Amino acid sequence: MAGIRFESVGKKYSNGFHAVKDLNLDIRDKEFLVLLGPSGCGKSTTLNMIAGLEEVSDGRLLFDDQMVNYMPPHRRDVAMVFQSYALYPHKTVFDNIAFGLQMRKVPREETARRVQDAADKLEISHLLDRRPSQLSGGQRQRVALGRAMVRNPAVFLMDEPLSNLDAALRISMRAEIKDLHHAMQTTFVYVTHDQAEALTLADRIVVMKDGVVQQIGTPDDIYERPQNTFVASFLGNPPINYIDGAVEVSDGETVSFVRGDLKLKFAGETARKLASSNGREIRLGIRAEDVDETRSSGEDSLIRGKVNSVLPVGSDQFLGFDFCGEELFFRVGKDLDHALGENVALSVDLSRLHVFDKASGASLIW
Amino acid sequence: MSDVPSSSTQVVDYRRRQRLARIAQRLIIFGGSILLAVYVIAPVTWLVSSSVQTEAEIVSVPPHWIPEEPTLRNFKAIFSATEEETVTYETRSGQDPAAGGFIPSTASSLLPAMANSLTVATLVVILNLLVAVPAAYSLAKIRTWGRNATVYFILITRVIPDIALVVPFFLVIRKLGMLDTIGSLVLTYLAVTVPFSVFILLQYFEGLPDELDKAARVDGCSRFQALIRVFLPLSLPSLVAVVLFTFLTSWNEFLLALMFTQTEASQTLPILLAAFTSDFTISFSFINAAGVLAIIPPVIVAIIFERYIVSGLTAGAVKG
Repeated sequence: MAGIRFESVGKKYSNGFHAVKDLNLDIRDKEFLVLLGPSGCGKSTTLNMIAGLEEVSDGRLLFDDQMVNYMPPHRRDVAMVFQSYALYPHKTVFDNIAFGLQMRKVPREETARRVQDAADKLEISHLLDRRPSQLSGGQRQRVALGRAMVRNPAVFLMDEPLSNLDAALRISMRAEIKDLHHAMQTTFVYVTHDQAEALTLADRIVVMKDGVVQQIGTPDDIYERPQNTFVASFLGNPPINYIDGAVEVSDGETVSFVRGDLKLKFAGETARKLASSNGREIRLGIRAEDVDETRSSGEDSLIRGKVNSVLPVGSDQFLGFDFCGEELFFRVGKDLDHALGENVALSVDLSRLHVFDKASGASLIW
Repeated sequence: MSDVPSSSTQVVDYRRRQRLARIAQRLIIFGGSILLAVYVIAPVTWLVSSSVQTEAEIVSVPPHWIPEEPTLRNFKAIFSATEEETVTYETRSGQDPAAGGFIPSTASSLLPAMANSLTVATLVVILNLLVAVPAAYSLAKIRTWGRNATVYFILITRVIPDIALVVPFFLVIRKLGMLDTIGSLVLTYLAVTVPFSVFILLQYFEGLPDELDKAARVDGCSRFQALIRVFLPLSLPSLVAVVLFTFLTSWNEFLLALMFTQTEASQTLPILLAAFTSDFTISFSFINAAGVLAIIPPVIVAIIFERYIVSGLTAGAVKG
């Protein structure tokens, strides 16, 4: 236990809202899977279906090979951490953590031992007598984790567990959750809208939008090889830049992107895949960090424009860049010094261009 | 720097005015509180005081707030009332009404009526909780088709005045053969109180986060266990409100009880108390003694639950 399989699962609410559509997903045993997407994309609904808190409207949901569509949550071996922590206000920290074990009739000494273990691991042993109202946000978060941990569940579910914490705490808790996954050796399903959390934690990421899976893959897949413009824009800071234009194939082998004066030559695999697409309308994606001012690999990699804004972010700076009336954002080294309104030429990393169909937004190269 | 003295006198002046304003404010609040207290306490005081006075003393002018010749005669009469002691048409002329030497003919029904009232009120409270708690929980936390319509429907039944329901209720109760039984009162009081209880609890349950319900169920609770182990302990203030509301409503109810009850088997206290005023002669001291007995149970209920109201309110304020 426990692999989880969604077979054409759909979720429709009584008000007609179709939260999840035809979901097919195989969550492997001991995997750390992150469901990523904007609010209302169906990721929390998916998590609630695994927990049994939402009914499955269509299709089948299987734990290993057993169908669990109609199994109530207390019969499924899952534990869950909520965004608001959902600690029981009338119970002490000890009782909060022990509650799941008490409900499962674990002997008293065993319960006490396991609660103590979890509390030691999470460094909250000194808080066991307190009530949730006397704890800070970070401490409540730990209690919520402890409550899920002691159960030794087959599946560990987390619904945006870090979004109520402040930025510094969020990063340190991220590392702890990753350690927890290593230590527990169990399946984790984690819901978030924060791309950084997804990229740091996940073995695999599922990107969702409007109840439909957009892409499933490792963090590297999702970031480097986005299958459509939605996935490409959802990850990356600042977001990926798009330029609409056309494919031009000259001499039968040189494949380029053309938009007015701008001409970028495709390299390697990308060029080969687009070789027969002369004249096709495409949307070119350039990640903010895939430009450089110092590299000069010739005219075919340069993009020219006017500096609109300079936003230093400590380690480097974001450059707002006016290209033919469109605002593009690039991430460049912080030692580059530009005045507003100055015309600059940036060299694009041609091996890292993303190409999408202009109409459908689907990737033409991955 | 030359304006320092004038500004500091201004400050002193301002502070003095502030202090005066604060004192005035306190005096107004204090005076208002006294007035309110007198308004609330005076009738009860007179009730208690006159219950231990003789009939002659009660009607004396000016009234004696503190009885000059306190007597427990009325109470003794209530607790030891027998047919022999009661006044009948034939015997009443031998007594002097002004001296209060008589007891109403229905005095012996007083304690049975009180027992009836207690039984009805207790049953109504218990059944209310049994019905309203699960109803409110499911309306608050289980998403179902028609949920809003149900809530509105329940509320609408609350808006109908009791008087409009008396005749239909009477017909139903007669058809059921329940006239002059305690059951008829329990049944109709439930119809009147349950919607409001559901409404009070629904408001409260909806205020408790959905995630708490989800957490409990993932932790191993069935719906019912989640209700018992997580929601009920957190809902004490609203439960107390429901208990007080339903107890007092059924304890005080008059109209329906007047319609459905006829004999000692089912008559409740308000009916009997009202009947004392339509006896051959009215004994104010006796009525007031009975009135004192009538307010004791509600006062006890209020005292028992008072600390839960207070602790419940603070517990609700620190929602984790």
